[in-house]
Amino acid sequence: MFESMMMNTNPQITPLNILFADDDVDDRFFFEKALREIPIASNLTTVIDGEHLMDYLSENIEQLPDVLFLDLSMPRKSGFECLSEIRENIKLNDMPVVMYSTSYTSDKNYEESMIDVLFKMGAQGFIRKPGDFAKLKQVIHDELVMMFEKKSINQN
Amino acid sequence: MIAIKKSDEDELTVAYKEIAIQKEENEKLLAALKIAKNELAFQIEEKGKRAEELSIANKELVFQNDEKEKRAAELTIANKELAFQNNEKEKRAAELTIANKELAFQNDEKEKRAAELTIANKELAFQNEEKEKRAAELGIANKELAFQNEEKEKRAAELIIANKELLAFTYISSHDLQEPLRKIQTFVTILLENENENLSESGKNNFQRMQLAAGRMQQLIDDLLAFSRISTTELTLEKTDLNKIIEEVKTELRDTIQEKQATIEATELCPANIIVFQFRQLMYNLISNALKFSNPAIPAHIIVKSRIVKVSKLNNENLSPEKNYCYITVKDNGIGFEPHFSERIFEVFQKLHGKDEYAGTGIGLAIVKKIAENHNGTITATSELNKGAQFDIYIPA
Repeated sequence: MFESMMMNTNPQITPLNILFADDDVDDRFFFEKALREIPIASNLTTVIDGEHLMDYLSENIEQLPDVLFLDLSMPRKSGFECLSEIRENIKLNDMPVVMYSTSYTSDKNYEESMIDVLFKMGAQGFIRKPGDFAKLKQVIHDELVMMFEKKSINQN
Repeated sequence: MIAIKKSDEDELTVAYKEIAIQKEENEKLLAALKIAKNELAFQIEEKGKRAEELSIANKELVFQNDEKEKRAAELTIANKELAFQNNEKEKRAAELTIANKELAFQNDEKEKRAAELTIANKELAFQNEEKEKRAAELGIANKELAFQNEEKEKRAAELIIANKELLAFTYISSHDLQEPLRKIQTFVTILLENENENLSESGKNNFQRMQLAAGRMQQLIDDLLAFSRISTTELTLEKTDLNKIIEEVKTELRDTIQEKQATIEATELCPANIIVFQFRQLMYNLISNALKFSNPAIPAHIIVKSRIVKVSKLNNENLSPEKNYCYITVKDNGIGFEPHFSERIFEVFQKLHGKDEYAGTGIGLAIVKKIAENHNGTITATSELNKGAQFDIYIPA
C-alpha cells in the first residue's frame, strides 16, 4: 500500500529517502508536487494511514527512511499514536519525524501547547499545512535543510 | 238530855255517819301505812345495796383520782414542753412574717411584671399573626418560584444541549470546513503559478478574486472559532496591571498606530482581576477598532482610563449593587456611529459598513462583549455620528 518514486535525480548526490503518511489524497498530491519542485534530491514513499505506516516500518526495519513526514489526524491510527509507538521502539527511535498538521491557525495557544507536546514526545519538526503552494514548498524545503544541513544536501 | 229532840236525832245520825266515814278513812290510812312500811323496808334494802355500790365507786374514784394526778404531772411536763415549742413557734412565726412581707413585695413586683408580659404577649401574638400571614404569602411566592425554577432548569438543560451542538459546530468549522478551503486556496496558487501562460487576463483576475474570497472565508472561520472558544476556555482570574496590557496591545498594533498617526493615552490604570489573554484580546479589539474607524481628516486620539467604582449609583441591572467594580473606558475621536446602533454593534456578524469601506467580519465587538460577560461584567457603547465613540466596561474589582 505504498508507492515510491524518484524525485529529483542528481547523480552526484544520494537522494534522501522520505516517507510521507497522510490519508488525504489532495495533501499527498501537494506534498509529492512540492517535493518534486524543490531543489533537493529525494525518493518519496507514501502511506495512507497510521496502520499502514507502522506495517511499512516493521517490514522495512533494516532500511528506514531518512525522515518521516507524519500527518497528525489520520483514521485508524493517528499521528500522535504513531509518533509515540515509534519513539518507544528502539529500532525506530533514531528516525527523524516531522509532524505535518492541519490548520489550527485561529488558536495560537492551543497550537503552541500542541507543538510543545509533540516535541516532548520526540518529534524533530512541525509543519502547519499552508493554503499557498509556494509557501508549502518553502516550509518543506526549510525543514529538510534544517534537518540535513550537515549532509550538504542543498544543491543551490 | 234524855229528851232528845228530833233535831238532835238528826245530828246523831250525821255524827254516826261521820264516824263511819272516819273509821273507813282510818282503815284506808292503815292500809296505806302498811304499804308505806313495806316500801320503806324495800327502800332501806335498796339503800344498803346503793351504799355498797357507792363504796365500790368511791374506791374506783380514788384510784381514778390517783391516775389523774399522775396524768396531771405528766401534763405539766408536757405543758412546759409545749410552752417552749410555742415560744419557738412564735419566733419562727415572726421570721415567717418578715419572709411573708418580702414574698408579698416580690409577688407585687411579679404581678407588675406579669402585667407587662401580658401586654408584650399580646404584641407578640399580633406580630405572630402578621408573620403567619406573611408566611402564607411567602408560601405562595415560594411555589411560584419553585415553578419558575423548574422552568429554568428545563431551559438550562436545553441550553446544555444547544451548547453541545455549538461545540460540534466548532469542531466541524475547524476541521471539515477549514481543510477543503485550504485545498481550494492551494489549488488556486498552483493554477496561478503553473498555468500562468495558459490563462487569459480575465481568467487570472477571476482566480485572484477567488483567492480573496477564500481568504475572507478563512478569516470568518478563524474569527468564529475565536468567538466560540471564548466561552469554552477555562477561566482563571489574575490580578493584572492594565497598563501592561495596553503596552502589549500598543506593541502589537505599532504599524497601524504609526500609519494613522494615532496617540493612545493610557496612564495610571488600576490593576484588575482578569483572564489575561482574553482581556488582552478585548483591549486589542477595542483599540484596533478605534484605529480602524478613525476620522481620516484628523489624527486618531484614543484615551483609556480606569478606576474603582461602586455600582449602586450606576443603576445597571446586570451588575450587583454595593460591589466594587473596575470601570474602564476606551474613548476615541473617530467617525462614531448613530446612537441607535449602540447595541447592534455587539452582535455577531453585525457591520455598519460595507467590507469594501472597512475590512472585517463583524465579530470583533461580539468577542469583546463575550469577554466582558465572561468576567461577570458588562460593556456598553455610546456614540454619535462623527463625534467619536466611548466604550464603558465594568468588571468586578
